[in-house]
Amino acid sequence: MDNQAIAQGIREAAQRLLAEGLVDCVLGYEAGTVPMRERPFFAYTPEEALRLTWSGFCCNNLANFLIRRPQGETGKVAVVAQGCVSRNIVGLIKEHQLSREQVHVIGVASPGMLDRDKVQAAVGADKVISAAHEEGDELLVEGPGWQERLERKKVMRDNCYTCVQRNPVIHNELIGEESEPTHGGVIDKVAAPWEKLDPSERLAAFGENYQDCIRCYACRDACPLCYCHVCFVDEAKPQWCGKTQDEADVLTYHLLRAFHCAGRCTDCGACESACPQGIKVRRLTGKIEKDVREFYGYAPGLDEESVPPLSVHKPDDPQGFIK
Amino acid sequence: MSPQLNPHQPVGAVMVVGGGVAAIQASLDLADTGYLVYLVEKSPAIGGVMSQLDKTFPTNDCSMCILSPKLVECGRHPNIQILTNTEVMGVEGSVGAFRVSLYQKARYIDLNKCIACGACSEKCPKRVPDLFNCGLNQRKAAHVKYPQAVPLKYSIDRDNCIYFQKGKCKACQKFCPADAVDFTQQDQELTLDVGAVVLSAGFKPFDPTPFAQYSYTSFPNVVTALEFERILSASGPWMGHLVRPSDENEPKRIAWLQCVGSRDINNCDHGYCSSVCCMYAIKEAVIAKEHSHDGLDTAIFYMDMRTFGKDFERTYEGAKDKGVRFVRSRIHSIGELPNHDLRLEYVDEKGEAKSEDFDLVVLSQGLEMDGDTARMCRGLGLELADTGFVANGSFTPVASSRPGIYVCGALAGPKDIPLSVMEASAAACAASGDLAMSRGSLIAPPEEIPQRDVAGDSPRVGVFVCSCGINIAGVVDVQAVMDYAATLPHVDYVENNLFTCSQDTQDKMAAVIREQNLNRIVVAACSPRTHEPLFQETLQAAGLNKYLFDMANIRNQTSWVHADDPAQATERAKDQVRMAVAKASLLEPLSEAKLSILPSALVIGGGLAGMNAALELARQGFPTHLVERDNQLGGNARLLRITAKGEEVAPYLAELVQRVEDEPNITVHLGAAIQKVDGFVGNFQTTLAGGEGEEMVRHGVTIIATGAAEYRPTEYLMGQHPAVKTHLELDAAIMSGELDPAKINSAVFIQCVGSREPERPYCSKVCCAHSVESALWLKEHNPECQVAILYRDMRTFGERELLYKKAREAGVLFVRYDPENKPRVEAAGEQVSVAVQDPLLGRELSFDADLLVLASAVVSHRDEALAQMFKISLDQDGWFLEAHVKLRPVDFATDGVFMAGLAHYPKPMEEAVAQAQAAVARAVTVLSKGEMSLPGTVAVIDQNRCVGCGVCWAVCPFKAIDQDENGLAVINEALCKGCGTCVASCRSGAPNLRGFSNQDVLAQIGTMLLG
Amino acid sequence: MSSNESFEPRIAAFFCNWCTYGGADLAGVSRLQYPPNIRAIRIPCTGRLSPTFVLQAFRQGADGVWISGCHPGDCHYIEGNLYARRRFTVLKSLLEYVGLEPGRLHFSWISSAEATKFQQTVIEVTEAVKALGPSKFLRKEIGMVA
Repeated sequence: MDNQAIAQGIREAAQRLLAEGLVDCVLGYEAGTVPMRERPFFAYTPEEALRLTWSGFCCNNLANFLIRRPQGETGKVAVVAQGCVSRNIVGLIKEHQLSREQVHVIGVASPGMLDRDKVQAAVGADKVISAAHEEGDELLVEGPGWQERLERKKVMRDNCYTCVQRNPVIHNELIGEESEPTHGGVIDKVAAPWEKLDPSERLAAFGENYQDCIRCYACRDACPLCYCHVCFVDEAKPQWCGKTQDEADVLTYHLLRAFHCAGRCTDCGACESACPQGIKVRRLTGKIEKDVREFYGYAPGLDEESVPPLSVHKPDDPQGFIK
Repeated sequence: MSPQLNPHQPVGAVMVVGGGVAAIQASLDLADTGYLVYLVEKSPAIGGVMSQLDKTFPTNDCSMCILSPKLVECGRHPNIQILTNTEVMGVEGSVGAFRVSLYQKARYIDLNKCIACGACSEKCPKRVPDLFNCGLNQRKAAHVKYPQAVPLKYSIDRDNCIYFQKGKCKACQKFCPADAVDFTQQDQELTLDVGAVVLSAGFKPFDPTPFAQYSYTSFPNVVTALEFERILSASGPWMGHLVRPSDENEPKRIAWLQCVGSRDINNCDHGYCSSVCCMYAIKEAVIAKEHSHDGLDTAIFYMDMRTFGKDFERTYEGAKDKGVRFVRSRIHSIGELPNHDLRLEYVDEKGEAKSEDFDLVVLSQGLEMDGDTARMCRGLGLELADTGFVANGSFTPVASSRPGIYVCGALAGPKDIPLSVMEASAAACAASGDLAMSRGSLIAPPEEIPQRDVAGDSPRVGVFVCSCGINIAGVVDVQAVMDYAATLPHVDYVENNLFTCSQDTQDKMAAVIREQNLNRIVVAACSPRTHEPLFQETLQAAGLNKYLFDMANIRNQTSWVHADDPAQATERAKDQVRMAVAKASLLEPLSEAKLSILPSALVIGGGLAGMNAALELARQGFPTHLVERDNQLGGNARLLRITAKGEEVAPYLAELVQRVEDEPNITVHLGAAIQKVDGFVGNFQTTLAGGEGEEMVRHGVTIIATGAAEYRPTEYLMGQHPAVKTHLELDAAIMSGELDPAKINSAVFIQCVGSREPERPYCSKVCCAHSVESALWLKEHNPECQVAILYRDMRTFGERELLYKKAREAGVLFVRYDPENKPRVEAAGEQVSVAVQDPLLGRELSFDADLLVLASAVVSHRDEALAQMFKISLDQDGWFLEAHVKLRPVDFATDGVFMAGLAHYPKPMEEAVAQAQAAVARAVTVLSKGEMSLPGTVAVIDQNRCVGCGVCWAVCPFKAIDQDENGLAVINEALCKGCGTCVASCRSGAPNLRGFSNQDVLAQIGTMLLG
Repeated sequence: MSSNESFEPRIAAFFCNWCTYGGADLAGVSRLQYPPNIRAIRIPCTGRLSPTFVLQAFRQGADGVWISGCHPGDCHYIEGNLYARRRFTVLKSLLEYVGLEPGRLHFSWISSAEATKFQQTVIEVTEAVKALGPSKFLRKEIGMVA
């Protein structure tokens, strides 16, 4: 099934669910005002459901919006979820932010989402893009007086390329078929560029990676794991982290935020997609994802039963570094 | 002591004799339940043998680490008077009114003045063997028994002191900075009145010296197990480096010889098994392997491996996996090679003579009654058993033959630490039962001093810098530290003391706090671990909340360890003072929540343990609900014939049930189950569901005694052939008279049916003795009956070994089998035919049996629902998991819940009764208070920050965090122990730990490097 | 590194109250001498140690951080140290991944009876940090300390 057919399936499912009163609303994506910027959308009526869409530019993690519903809305919600989003939903259930009964998961296998910055770069930074259509393994990009076909794989988001769970881990209904679990990328390589370096080079690379950070916190706000009422970075008493753009403060923020994602991050890539500065935010979370997997055999959100790795311990946990 | 007004009222004091872990536990339990305790110890410090051990099995916990807090608690307890260097000369009178005469040897050090700086020992010129280290190295005549000793006071060993021998020296006196040495002290005779006596003077490690076959004195590399503990110990003669005595080289091959001084009537006259040596040998072998860098070879030479306790079998199997070798054999000689290596000549199980060389041989010495202790016990009129230990009964395991005198620990038979600790609490329970009406009569309630309200006042920090004689001032420039402290923010007062901890300085400190209107105090001195409570008392005396206090450790962690660099030591002292002041300035007064305690109990399970627990609670005056799921009381005991001592169970049980039914303080709920539990320590509300509907009971504590079940075998034709019975079925058939022994001409017992199997990798502990008892019954009632017991290891521990011997003498055939080669059973008409491969003979034996008895396992109920309701845990085999395997065997990590009997692990009846009494003693530490004060250093949740993600309640080791109706975390202060794991786990900054808050720690980090 | 010979590192040490702090006290009682470069903070349990404390110490200019608690199984709070073990396994790996030199951040299990191990560990930690020279990791410039 192609994306258009899936979008149709989503709309039909949403209309049915709303018409039958099974859910209060359906959380999905609608087309943005500019191309390649599909955005989250809550449909409350069968009519509104017609606005729902599905494409390779559905980069927001809808799990994040499940816990940021308009105030006062607590009824049952249906949500469109590909692999990572479903894993985050599982995570939110484990963290008591949602109950399974509260969500109706409209599962969709992820086609591998596309990186609009890569698309823009591929066609040339100065070109104005007026439309982008997916056609099988290709993306047809159009502008005033020009057209270009791009190989989909070449403009895929990094995290989607290394994804290991494209299919939803939970769903109440599935639109389309399940797909191959991966796109062929090797998830361990996310951390490889820095792992190869020696300590002093790593510190430099670390600083360089974040040197353009303007501390807008878009990465945090896009993340379905960041739902604290008061983020440590906003704390004044005690002040965990200075408020300046001084390198030590910037890096402290990113390190602590990454650590808070330990054993929880599904590598959905929302942070990177949200960053206005194009920072490779996943360099940190990718390392932790790998460590947690290697040390404790844990990958977040794959099932509803397993206990998150930092909330449990085993007698024979690795401790080679402890004297 | 206040005079007794009522001549019939018992004396509200108890004497505990001995200073080991059992004596300490008994003292603490009694002191915590309202009695004045005299703890009488022969040596200069308490701690006993446990203080000498390196690690403890099966968990390999550091022995001193787990013991030390108990020592300190004992030393500081207002209701415990420790009398060291003291022995009991006689006890007159009877229960309720004993008069004890004591003899106390002079210490020659004033306990009130000694600051334990060690100057006396350093200057003492006389060296003598250090008996704490088993004589492996030397100490001085002026010495402290061991570094963590309680009381932490030096003493002068008169027999070795040069002054006492030659009339001059007194170097110690000259150099003592505290003027504590007093050569004029005299030995004293004392007389004390007490209501009850608890004897827990322990055992003597068997001394192999007189027995030539062990070559202990001839060869330097033959050591006892206790010596080996000291060799392994980090505080031992070689600082924990594993070396052998002859050349201090690291051994590459070590052998342990089991049953040295146990199971041996030919040489040492100890027919009993010492119960603990198999496990400690395994522990020592595993630890030795860990110490050794390159593949140490360890071999344990044994007759039967007796790993019968909780998690022991796993430890045994684990040791095999780690490469410890187990050699079933008989050693006949130890020879020495020219390089002091040792050659063991032995006969293996098949009867072949073998020999093997080792670098070090450890004698797994047994436990025996100490001669002096035996003399004392006889002097008190106590009956001793044939084994030499104090005699007791299975249903009264801690009672001696003299009413009012109780026994616990290894002087009443060889046993391990958990059982000793259990018995100690049981003895406390028994004594407490005798004296209940005098509870609290001899102890002064703590004085309440009103606290000054300092909330909102800006900090006024007082800094007291201690010189500790020259211990600090000799290295650290105390004046410079004071001058520096005076410059720190919020510091309003600085003072130097020669000894801050001395009583007069403490009085002065209280006055200064008031006069200077100080509201935060920092003491720069020794360690908060030893002195914080003392200084906190002074704050309270000055009307200041005791939590407005911090210490800078400028002695133990500064002057003493940087003695060769005074300048840097002074810098470190300044930094630590600055950090302490920064933290102290942020400290807030903390309140200690008071929790009212309902003085009533719920006992779950109406078996032997549950009924005993209920009766003991009732005897101490606490109304008790006894819940039994069955429609009658008695539990498994109804199915048992006799104890290992030969006492019949049925008459005792009938009397016990009668006593329970007659006891007005006990409400029995038959056919009832636990439906729901709310509340926590002090205030539980438990809903019972039974035939008469639901009922809610309120209670302050809970004792879980839910028992266990007999494994129902599926193997060996069980249930398919009438000749096959389990132990309990055989007991029932004997008791009902259904079994006619004259018709049983051949009987076979198969051991370990369902135990020590992959799905149940534990030993059921009671089956070996049970089979032997039943075999003996058959032999007694039909001497012609051929009886064979097919076993893997005969685990007739303790004095049960004598039964084993008796059975062999009576002609019972014991045939070992390997688990890979289990017996095979086939029906043969009315008989069954049992075939077994005998590893000794190397051929198959077969028996045609009229009766086949299966020693089937004891299995847990794995009661997860109950565990969840009371927030307690089960172990992997489904037994309830105690708070600490060694030292808190009847407690749970959850306060106010205790356990007894088979629910904990399979055990014989005397242990179940002792555990029931122990659970009551522990429960009464709660019930007798009326009100509980909770520490102020607990976690608190800021609900504005909490998002209810659940990390905190997942990680809380004490299940002290609940969800409120909004799904947010709330701390149950009654359960919180203040570890702070929740704080460090939370991403949202919702929890904080009072006394160690984020702000406090950050203040220390922030000021650490400002110097 | 000859340039580091005169360098005296500053090391933030976090000790759990029940085991390592006791071991440190015992080292004192035993008069075991060790370098004066550590500054100790007593915490109830290694389970109490928030990862951010480690970052704060480096931010404030510590050249090394050392955390020590009870051996597995010895925890006064049953399992606080076991949660800490996981937390710090992940943290240490993360910090070294972003350029903290191995040798700046140390962990140990030291019981209250292991005075010698305490002494040896201080020496090891001090030497390791000394060899690395002053730390630049996350260090706030003077005057900018939060």
